[in-house]
Amino acid sequence: MAGFLGRTGYFVHETWINIRRNLTLTVAAILTVAVGVMLVGLGLMARSASTNALGRWQGGVQFEIFLEPNIAGGQIDALGQELRNHPDIERIQYITKDQAFELLEEMLVDEPELLAEVSIESLPSSYRIVPRFAEGELIESLAAQFRQRPGVYSVETGRQQVDAIREWFNSFRWIVLLMSIVLAAASTLLIFNMIRVAMFARRREIEVMKLVGATNSFIRLPFILEGMLHGLAGGIVGAVAAGVLRNHVEELFGRSEILAFFRSFTVTSSQFNTAILATVIMGVVVGALGSAFAAGRFLDV
Amino acid sequence: MIRLDNVTKIYKGETRAVDGVSLNIQKGEFVFLVGESGSGKSTMLRLLTAEELATTGQVHVAGKDLSRISSGRVPYLRRNIGSVFQDFKLLPQKTVYENVAFALQVIGRPKNIVTTQVPAILDLVGLSHKQKSFPDELSGGEQQRVSIARAFVNRPLILLADEPTGNLDPNTAQEIMRLLDRINGTGTTVVMATHDQTIVDQMRRRVVALHAGQVVRDEQHGVYE
Repeated sequence: MAGFLGRTGYFVHETWINIRRNLTLTVAAILTVAVGVMLVGLGLMARSASTNALGRWQGGVQFEIFLEPNIAGGQIDALGQELRNHPDIERIQYITKDQAFELLEEMLVDEPELLAEVSIESLPSSYRIVPRFAEGELIESLAAQFRQRPGVYSVETGRQQVDAIREWFNSFRWIVLLMSIVLAAASTLLIFNMIRVAMFARRREIEVMKLVGATNSFIRLPFILEGMLHGLAGGIVGAVAAGVLRNHVEELFGRSEILAFFRSFTVTSSQFNTAILATVIMGVVVGALGSAFAAGRFLDV
Repeated sequence: MIRLDNVTKIYKGETRAVDGVSLNIQKGEFVFLVGESGSGKSTMLRLLTAEELATTGQVHVAGKDLSRISSGRVPYLRRNIGSVFQDFKLLPQKTVYENVAFALQVIGRPKNIVTTQVPAILDLVGLSHKQKSFPDELSGGEQQRVSIARAFVNRPLILLADEPTGNLDPNTAQEIMRLLDRINGTGTTVVMATHDQTIVDQMRRRVVALHAGQVVRDEQHGVYE
């Protein structure tokens, strides 16, 4: 036991010396790992968030029937009556041209030039419809029933938006995944190089260690520990950054009307914890890989 | 303790550093390897520590056939062999005590062994009073004594010395030889490669002379030439 503690002390001491010697490289490696694993963490959270949000909308809570701009008043009322009496429809809301313009005004608050191009008359009025059951099939069949009616310009169901968002999120995930892989590779190479420099700086010690019969694993261990420690540090920094960013983004979604759509993009705390844990583990793995590779390559008998 | 059977070492397919050498060294012997530079002395020593592998022939050290030893076992072989060099190979940022202790720490010896063995060996080489000094504060002879202490602290069966007096003045060289003689007196086999005619002639120990990688003379109580 005493021997084991003595050795642990030795490894900790040696690792610390190595880190102190290459402070700039150490910082560079840690930051690269941090950015890489932060992306991994964010990617994982985005994945959970989009799954959560899409699950909630899978049926599409509501859909909207846009009317022709020049539709007659009687036609509007008749359609409204039919919708209200439909057994599968819970409630409806009529959006006038004026209301549509107000909504548009809100959306284009930062782009008045664009808004100036739009006249109230050219906007369609619409019915917003909440079906009795939030089921995708039902909504699709309802939409199909009303799409061909005279005076109906178009029917927008949630499903189309959901599909568009799903597609967007899928490509987002791929981009994040790709960037993470590139950054993980860069981190591994940086740590590989750093450990190589550390071993070069200590080549005399390594020579003596080999001379007196230290085993390869004994010589390598401090270097591998060093790499893992860098990975761990990078992982923690990356995880903290991902956590801060997540809070910031959720707050932004909550505050802004324009981004209100994204409010349902939230992660549960267990999903958040999993993502953070994966982020840290990823950092350690990157560190261990880079250093083990270097130690294996440059320490032959 | 050491046996070479028709050993040849060829570097890069052409240079024959060691050429058909057969040699038997018993436990407790003191052997000088002599010969001009490039005669194969250092290669012979490197073959014994498995830093080099023989191209053909067999090298047996401490009961191990080095042509068959796995690379994982090489460190354990080296724990039976102490090595001393002309340039000492001390670690400049470590004290005398730490340099010697290092040899025990890195082979995983427990702390209590380190704290008893290191002072004992420093006493043997006469450097107890300098244990806190750094190598660059010591004379050449003192540095070589530290390096001998490091090589011997684990009580190896064999001590290999490659020109250990090469950088030292004659008086200091005599001191080092007395120390190696004492170590040999404890039963440790000593093999020393040297150019130092005075020392070889004075000690009258076994002399193996090499020329172009071949043994040209092997005498029990020999002289340099």
